[in-house]
Amino acid sequence: MKNYIYIILPILVVLFGGCSDILEQEPDQILTGNQVFSDEVIIQSVLANYYGRVTWGQHTNDSYSYTVLDEAGKCDGGPDLLQTYSDDQWRVYDYTLIRNINQFLQGLRETPILDEDSRQAYEGEVRFLRAWVYFNMCKGLGGMPIVGDDVFEYTGGTDISTLQYPRSTEAELYDYIISECNAIVDFLPEEPSINAARATKWAAYMLKARAAVYAGSIANYNNKMPNPIRTEGGEVGIPAERADEYYQQAHSAAQEVINSGKYQLNMSDPDDLKRNFYEALSIKENNLEVIWARDYIYPGQTVGFTRVNIPASHAEDIDRAYAGPILNLVEDFEYADNRDGTIRTRDAQGNYIFYDSPEDAFENKDARLGGSIIYPGAEFKGSKVVLQAGQKYLENGQWKERTGQPGDRGDDKDLITSVNGPTTSNQQFINKTGFFFRKFMDETGGASTRGRNSEMWFPRFRFAEALMIACEATFELGQKEQALDYINQIRSRAGIQELEALTFEDIVRENRVEFAFEDHRYWDLKRWRLAHEVWNGVQNDPEAQQFALFPYLVNAPGSPNDGKWVFDKQPFSNSPNPRHFQLRHYYNFLDQGWINNNPKLVRNPFQ
Amino acid sequence: MKNNIYILWFAGLFFTISCGLDNYDEPGSQLFGQITYEGESIGLRGTGEAVQLQLYQDGYELDAPIPVFVKQDGSFEATLFDGEYKLVTRDQNGPWVNDRDTMLVTVNGSAEVNLEVTPYFMLSEVDISLEGKNEVTATFTIDQIAEVANAEYAMVLLGKTAFVDDVVYIGRQDLSAPQVGNELELSMDVSGIAEVEANGALFARVGVRPVGADQAIYSDVVRVR
Repeated sequence: MKNYIYIILPILVVLFGGCSDILEQEPDQILTGNQVFSDEVIIQSVLANYYGRVTWGQHTNDSYSYTVLDEAGKCDGGPDLLQTYSDDQWRVYDYTLIRNINQFLQGLRETPILDEDSRQAYEGEVRFLRAWVYFNMCKGLGGMPIVGDDVFEYTGGTDISTLQYPRSTEAELYDYIISECNAIVDFLPEEPSINAARATKWAAYMLKARAAVYAGSIANYNNKMPNPIRTEGGEVGIPAERADEYYQQAHSAAQEVINSGKYQLNMSDPDDLKRNFYEALSIKENNLEVIWARDYIYPGQTVGFTRVNIPASHAEDIDRAYAGPILNLVEDFEYADNRDGTIRTRDAQGNYIFYDSPEDAFENKDARLGGSIIYPGAEFKGSKVVLQAGQKYLENGQWKERTGQPGDRGDDKDLITSVNGPTTSNQQFINKTGFFFRKFMDETGGASTRGRNSEMWFPRFRFAEALMIACEATFELGQKEQALDYINQIRSRAGIQELEALTFEDIVRENRVEFAFEDHRYWDLKRWRLAHEVWNGVQNDPEAQQFALFPYLVNAPGSPNDGKWVFDKQPFSNSPNPRHFQLRHYYNFLDQGWINNNPKLVRNPFQ
Repeated sequence: MKNNIYILWFAGLFFTISCGLDNYDEPGSQLFGQITYEGESIGLRGTGEAVQLQLYQDGYELDAPIPVFVKQDGSFEATLFDGEYKLVTRDQNGPWVNDRDTMLVTVNGSAEVNLEVTPYFMLSEVDISLEGKNEVTATFTIDQIAEVANAEYAMVLLGKTAFVDDVVYIGRQDLSAPQVGNELELSMDVSGIAEVEANGALFARVGVRPVGADQAIYSDVVRVR
C-alpha cells in the first residue's frame, strides 16, 4: 500500500505543478458582454439565437400541432384520444428571452464599434422580436407584466418585491406592442431581407396590424358574449369603446404594407392558379408575398415537415403520412361557381355519384385547395398521388367494399388499397383522412430524408394577411365598399367569384382557407369568441368532429360504372372525440409556480 | 473487505434511521359535501374534471388552492389534514350565478358541508323512458331560479353507463331556446345506435344549458333499460 503512495505523489506533483498556463485559459464557449459587443459578427450571431427562439403555437416543426384543431388529423399509429384542450395550450411565458433581449439592448447602446445607422437597425430588430414575444404571450394569457428595457439583477439583500411587477391590463399590453412597432418602423430597413428571414419595416407594420386587429376584435366580440370573459382589473378583457380605435390602427398599419410597393399577391403562374398559390407560400426564390418567415437552411437548420407528412408513394425515407388534412377543411373551400364547397358524393336520392377519375370531384374548386392540400388524384412532384381505400362491388344490388393492406392487389393484379391509404387501421405510416398536405411540402429532392430534411420556410406574415386585416378592420368600421375591395383581391387570386356583399361569416371563412396551416385558425376563433361554438364538443357535429373522405374504385364488370370512382364521407377514425373548446380555454391558466414567485400576479378567469 | 462492511453498516444506518422532522403521516381526515340549492342537490357533469371547487388554507406562505372535483350528483369529498379551510366555487365554473364568497370549513376527523349555490335553473318532474328500440322520450320542466337566466338549449342524453353528460353519451337530442316554466317534451330517435340494438343497460338524463355559463344543469341519471 505504502509504495503506491510514493508513486502517486510524484505523479500528482508533475500533473499539477506544470509550468504552462494550461489551466488558465479563457473560456471560448462563454463570452462576456464586452467580447460580444466588440465584434459585429458575434452581435449578429446573438441576434440569430433570438430569431431561433421565437417559434410557438402551430408550426411545421411540430406536425402534431396541426391535428388538434379542425385542419388535419393525426394518422400516425393508433387513435388520438384528445378530449379537450389543456389549460396551457400553446402558452408562452418567456421572460428569460425578454431579459436576454434587454441585456442585448443595453450592450448595443453602449458599444462603440457600430455607427448610428446600424445600431438603430439592430435595435429595431431586437425590439421587434421583443414585441413579438409579448404578442405571443398576450394572445394566450392576456395582460402580463411589462418590464420595459430594465435588466433585473438580484443580489443578496435586495427587496424582491421591487422585482415583482403586477400584470398589465390586456389593453395596455396590446398598446405597448403597438407603440413599440410605431417606435421602430423608422429604425428597420425598407428592403425585404433574404428569404424574409429578418425583420423589416413591413414586418413591424404587420405585427402592429395583427396586434391591433386582435385587440379590436376582443374589445368588440368579447363584450357581445352573454357573459364576457374579464377580470376586475382588466388583465383580461378590453372595454368595448376601444374597438374602433384599434380597428383604425389595424387598417392604417395594413395600408402601409399594401401601399409599400415592396410586396404583392403572388402571380408567378397566372395560368395555373393552384400552382401559383403553392408558389406564393412554398417557393422562396423571388417571392414577393412573404414578409417575415422562420427560414430554414441546410445544413443545421432544417425542418422535418415534408419528411413526416409525405405520401408513401413519394417518400424517400421510412417516414411518411404522419398527419392528413381533413374533409372539414376541404369542404370549406368554395367552388368557383358555387359558394357551397361540399364535395358531391351522392345525388338527391342518396345514390353514389360516379366520377371518371377521383380528381374530378374537386374540379372547379377554389385554386387554393390545390395549393394547400393534395386531394385524391392530385399531382405532387410531377406524378399522381393515388388515394384508394378499396374497391366497391355490387352484391345483390348493394354496394359492398373490399379493402386490403396498403399496396394490396387483387387476383387480376388490380389495386385494392393504395400504398398511400386511406385506411382505418392503427398502422403507422399510412394516411387515414384521404388527403395530404400540399402547403409547405418541399419538392426538392432529398427533402424528405432523415439525413437532410427540408429547407422549407414557415411564413409568419405575408401580403395576403395585410389585405385580410384591412378587410376585417374596414368591415367592422362600417366601410363596406373598401372591405369588399380588399377581400375580392384575395378571392380573384384564388380564381373564385368576387363577392357583392360581405358578411362577418365570409371573413371567418376566407381567413380559414387562405391561412390554413399558418397558425391563424386557433387565434382567430379565440379573438372572435367563436371557438366554443365551432368546437362545441358535440359528437358528429359537422364542425367539431373530424371527417375523412375515402375514395373507392368501382369494380363492377359489365356495369357502365366499372372503373369509375365513388367517395364515402365518414367520421375520421383516428380522432374519435369531437373538438371541445370550453370557455376556460379562452385564456391560459397562470402557472402556480409563477404566482408563488410573484404573488402580485392575479389568476385568469375560470382558474 | 471487512472495512467495506463497516462502511455499509453506517450507510445503512443513515438511510434507515431518520427523525420525525420530515416525516409525517398522510392526511386522514375526510371532508364530505354536497352542492345544493335550498337543500336540493344539483346534477352536474361529472367527467373531465369539469366542475371543481377550491379549498384554501390560510397561514402558509403560498396560497395554492386544493382542487376538489365534483361528481355528477353534485357531491364531493376530499381527504385532508385537520384544520380550518375556506371552500369556494371556482371562478365562472358551474351552472350557477358566479359567487366567490368563501365558506369556512373546520375539519377535525371528518366534516360534512352543504355548499349552497344559486343555479340559473332547476329541472323538475323529469320522466324519461325508452320505447322499444327506437325512441327515448323525456318530459321535464325547467324552473328559473336566478333572477336573470336564459336557457340556450335543453338536451336529452343517452348513455351506456351510469355516467352521462354532454360529452359522454351515445345519443343526444337538443332543443334550442326551450321554454322555461312549462312542461316540455323532447324525443330522440335512437334507432341504429349499436348499443341500443345490443340489449345492454341504458341510462339517460336531461340537461339545460344556461346562456353564458360554462356548464349545464342536469337531472338525476335514470336507468331506462
